Amino acid sequence: MTKDQTRGSKPVIMPHSYDGIQEYDQSLPNWWLFTLFGSIVFAFLYWLANFVTGTLPDDRVAINTEIDALEARQLAAIKDLDEPTLWKMSRNSKTVAEGQAVYNSLCFTCHGPTLAGIKGLGFRLNDDLWVHGNTPTAIFNNVSEGITFEGKPTGMAAQKVLGTGRIAAVTAFLLSKQKEGAMKVIPRKDEPSQLTP
Amino acid sequence: MKPTPIRESVTTIGHDGTRRFLQPALIFGSWWRARRAVAWLLIAFFAALPWIEIDGFPAVFLDVEHRHFHLLGTMMGLGDIWLLFFVITGWGFLIYATTALLGRIWCGWACPQTVYLEHVFRVVDRLFEGDHVSRAKLDAQPWSAPNKMLRRGARAFAYLVLCWAVAHIFLAYFISIPGLYPMITDAPLAHPAAFVAMAIATGLLFFNFWWFREQLCLIVCPYGRLQSALIDDDSVIVGYDEKRGEPHGKAAPGIPTGDCVDCRRCVQVCPTGIDIRHGLQMECIACTACVDACDDVMTKLKRPTGLVRYASLRELNGGKTRFLRPRTVLYAALLVIGLIVASIAVLRVQPAAFKLSRPPQTELYALSEASVANVFRAKIQNKDEIPRRFFISAESPATKVTVLNQSAGMVIAPLTEITLPLTLLVDRQDYRGEFNFMLRLRSEDGEISLLQKAHFIGPDPRTLKQ
Repeated sequence: MTKDQTRGSKPVIMPHSYDGIQEYDQSLPNWWLFTLFGSIVFAFLYWLANFVTGTLPDDRVAINTEIDALEARQLAAIKDLDEPTLWKMSRNSKTVAEGQAVYNSLCFTCHGPTLAGIKGLGFRLNDDLWVHGNTPTAIFNNVSEGITFEGKPTGMAAQKVLGTGRIAAVTAFLLSKQKEGAMKVIPRKDEPSQLTP
Repeated sequence: MKPTPIRESVTTIGHDGTRRFLQPALIFGSWWRARRAVAWLLIAFFAALPWIEIDGFPAVFLDVEHRHFHLLGTMMGLGDIWLLFFVITGWGFLIYATTALLGRIWCGWACPQTVYLEHVFRVVDRLFEGDHVSRAKLDAQPWSAPNKMLRRGARAFAYLVLCWAVAHIFLAYFISIPGLYPMITDAPLAHPAAFVAMAIATGLLFFNFWWFREQLCLIVCPYGRLQSALIDDDSVIVGYDEKRGEPHGKAAPGIPTGDCVDCRRCVQVCPTGIDIRHGLQMECIACTACVDACDDVMTKLKRPTGLVRYASLRELNGGKTRFLRPRTVLYAALLVIGLIVASIAVLRVQPAAFKLSRPPQTELYALSEASVANVFRAKIQNKDEIPRRFFISAESPATKVTVLNQSAGMVIAPLTEITLPLTLLVDRQDYRGEFNFMLRLRSEDGEISLLQKAHFIGPDPRTLKQ
């Protein structure tokens, strides 16, 4: 380091020379050094708080806590969705209308606008014959988790992202076309709308 | 005491790295008046934009929350973000072209840092702490000196109010004036995110204008650092006519002297603390304060003005500035090409968006007795302020494709996006293997027509033979 120089005098040239290039002995601005050393200190403290003392909340733990809370809420909502509740919902015009809106935005692609099914794509849903379960909770689960057949996923994918409320509503909409106790289970090959080659 | 600028070191940074504060003198010259007029125009423009309504929305409203970007009556969605390429490159070429021609004209005339510092905050300085002499005196005084605390405090308060106002206008660009107003009248905790953003913006502005000032131009600004690559001997800079001015000093009999009388007025007025007579330096933001200062002195001495003036290095060395050079022609050509392409791109932005994808976790295709089916997921966005009915149809010249359940079309509310499952059927008899086709989205009123490429997936046609 050079001694204090009088203002206005030229800075000292460092003695070394590389390829004929020399450099002045200039100080960096203190504020610039502050940002440099500040970030080094911050990095050390961050490392300390995050990996050594664990003072900062772990991202993984925080996310898992949030997911757990979400799942707990979903499970609590599903627990109340027993057979009588779903039947009751299917007789509520507001819930059915809500379910129909969900159906018309998504399900109709394969099951048709009138629930009559599309050959090769989706089962008929307006008759009393059911392949993958004849109970309200079975329908709810099929919508939520999707359907696998002989261990392979089918075109009916899990629609969990809709959320419990909308899955329950669309289940209620389907049940609104049914009579309690009149739903029958049939094997897949006997489903009239299912005609795979 | 103001340090004497030298070419080798930055005046505002001491040899020990400490910050040296400048108190430049005010020079009320013709360039200064012109720059002030431009500055006030720019400030008025910045403050007025969020208030001007075009088609029911502010002229510039970057609604980050809803990802709607309103620009002069056009709504851009996130899908139009590629247009930003033209904004950035266009800005780049504009800056390259103007810098090659006119040097750092941006820094001196239009950069917000200069505009606000020179024409707002230095006005406050003069108002509360007097001219450069009394400001420097106040700087040197201890805090116990009479009135120092009071004058500094009053100035700080004025700075804070101004920074707070600028921060609010800045925020209005992102949440609009009608969105901003309730945030101002409600308690700060009612809108914590906006309040924190406003507080941080105010704080940063305050720090910048109170303490940081020319350090931003000298050390932080990348444009400043690019200067050595952007200008050449023919770029117009603020320069000192050494041939005419040197040797400088007071005229004395027997000693030959140039026109520079070494009054150091140009050094006094410089906001970045350089001596323009040392030639072109990286600190110079081409603010023309020294031009005004020198012209003032030269007029008083009844000598021609322009000892310090806008001139290229070539001109100052006795040559003639060449404006038509390969680099200016190239930059201008790139700028013009960019402008043309950008205009075409912007004009082609339709008030709707149409995107296709395959729904996840579904089979690629389904077979029925009569047909092969593919399911697509269409994302349709109505970017307009009116509801519209849209229709989707398949355009496939070779193979007939039927879009299921879409004959009635769908009505989409203004500024909303829907996701729509689409079932497409091809008759088994028509199916000759996988093929490409187009899906067209059009509005009922015929205003909008968008095409999307699609690929129809299916089995090998030979396996379909009965």
